[in-house]
Amino acid sequence: MDNSDISADSLISVRNLSFSRGNRKIFDDISLDIARGKITAIMGPSGTGKTTLLKLIGGQLIPEQGSIVVDGLDVHQLRRKELFHLRKRIGMLFQSGALLTDINVYDNVAFPLREHTHLTESMIRTLVLMKLQAVGLRGARDLMPNELSGGMARRVALARAIALDPMMILYDEPFTGQDPISMGALVHLIKSLNTTLGLTSIIVSHDVAETSAIADYIYVISDGKIAGQGTPKEIEASESAWVQQFMKGDPDGPVHFHYPAPNYIEDLLASSQSPSRIAVKQKAKKTDESLNAKGLKKTPSRKRGRSRYRRED
Amino acid sequence: MLHFLQKLGSSTRTNFAKLGRATYFLGHTLTGIVDVALRPRLLLNQLHSVGVLTFLIITISGLFVGMVLGLQGYNILSDFGSEEALGIMVAASLVRELGPVVTALLFAGRAGSALTAEIGLMKATEQLSGMEMMAVDPVNRIISPRFFAGFLSMPLLAALFSMVGILGGHMVGVGLLGVDDGSYWSQMQANLDFYDDIVNGVIKSIVFGFAATWIALFEGYDAVPTAEGVSRATTRTVVNSAFAILGLDFILTAMMFGDI
Repeated sequence: MDNSDISADSLISVRNLSFSRGNRKIFDDISLDIARGKITAIMGPSGTGKTTLLKLIGGQLIPEQGSIVVDGLDVHQLRRKELFHLRKRIGMLFQSGALLTDINVYDNVAFPLREHTHLTESMIRTLVLMKLQAVGLRGARDLMPNELSGGMARRVALARAIALDPMMILYDEPFTGQDPISMGALVHLIKSLNTTLGLTSIIVSHDVAETSAIADYIYVISDGKIAGQGTPKEIEASESAWVQQFMKGDPDGPVHFHYPAPNYIEDLLASSQSPSRIAVKQKAKKTDESLNAKGLKKTPSRKRGRSRYRRED
Repeated sequence: MLHFLQKLGSSTRTNFAKLGRATYFLGHTLTGIVDVALRPRLLLNQLHSVGVLTFLIITISGLFVGMVLGLQGYNILSDFGSEEALGIMVAASLVRELGPVVTALLFAGRAGSALTAEIGLMKATEQLSGMEMMAVDPVNRIISPRFFAGFLSMPLLAALFSMVGILGGHMVGVGLLGVDDGSYWSQMQANLDFYDDIVNGVIKSIVFGFAATWIALFEGYDAVPTAEGVSRATTRTVVNSAFAILGLDFILTAMMFGDI
């Protein structure tokens, strides 16, 4: 695809980005564009580094290679002060909400205003109430973060993210672990905020149905590469078997249901525990590598592998 | 053998890397003095949670340490018929040594572990990241006030510890064992030197406070952001602070009193 024609009206353009954690390549030379004023979704199984991408865009991580240009500014060439200035124009909604737990809802929303503006308390009050009204939680202003349900905490965090009237918002897994009602509320909020405030939104998610309902453009990422991109309809009609499996949630397909293991019967009949475990490990490693070579990898295996590695570390 | 060398090399490398991060972190924390000066409220809040809330444990421990010193000192001194020297003995042990060291150890256990757990959990719940994305420097905003609060509290807490300890020694020595009240105080007054004893003790407590708070904050900031990681970091805070305090105490004592 030719990227140059999109980049004219794109707010963020990522070029040839590579990033690894340890020996694991999270992004391998990817390029993508986020259109101004649109909702762009970045999807992929957990552990593919979707959150990492948001952190790279926000300048919290530094890529090994490639560049990220946000509104004409190369994020990783900026000086600290300029980067902080840019961040004031970016709202980010963390998966956990990331509310400050020692102050109440009102003070949480007021926090960025107090830090970055010289408004009087009465003006801050007006602004905070407006933002809370927008997310429907004006009545919850005196609650502490630990008294909020997960969905409410995320809405408060959203109110805080729009407190400084940013040009764009990054949503990190906004729908994970939500009941259908608060999920619906969030979907509606993200869509309506985007249109009423003229924002650019980036949603990182693996909730296929909700995300494709509101996204204007979707990138599907797998194994550090872009596996598919297009409007929700185009993605649905994608020819890639991997994308099809991901979008439909089929248990088996290019990504296998089983974690690599030796032959089932042999394993059951193996007499003693420890030697067979070693065999399992070695075989699993081999199969893993061969899977890797084909560009396929099952997510749970990644996670387990990583935590095992960490413990030894 | 090769495996052993490999492990040794890797752990040395890890530790030096950590030391480097800690030093960089300290520098970053110290620049936060600007934020602290502009917003004294942040510092006051932390002085309360780091300093004032440690008050009780320090007072009670000081009292008991002083009382034990009174008992033990009386036993030894009475063998030489010099019970009157109990005052100077109790005071010198406390002001020079026990005050700063025991206070610092208690401080690391009470305030240091709390700081590590708090910062570690803030990191685990993405509060620090969130602040960064709101263009607020978490080190200057969160860490620095805590650092300066710990740094300022320690000498005061050590002074409190010594004071209560001297009173405890008085209670036991004069009140129970019958040492002369006048000689308890006058011996202390005559023999305790302001520079040699008190100033040196204060210097020790400042150094310990600096080290203990730095270790606690860094361990929290550097913690693996999981429940297990935070618990490990808290343990490391207490262990490393204890080592640092005792090691530094030896070095400082050698420099101050050792005539080396």
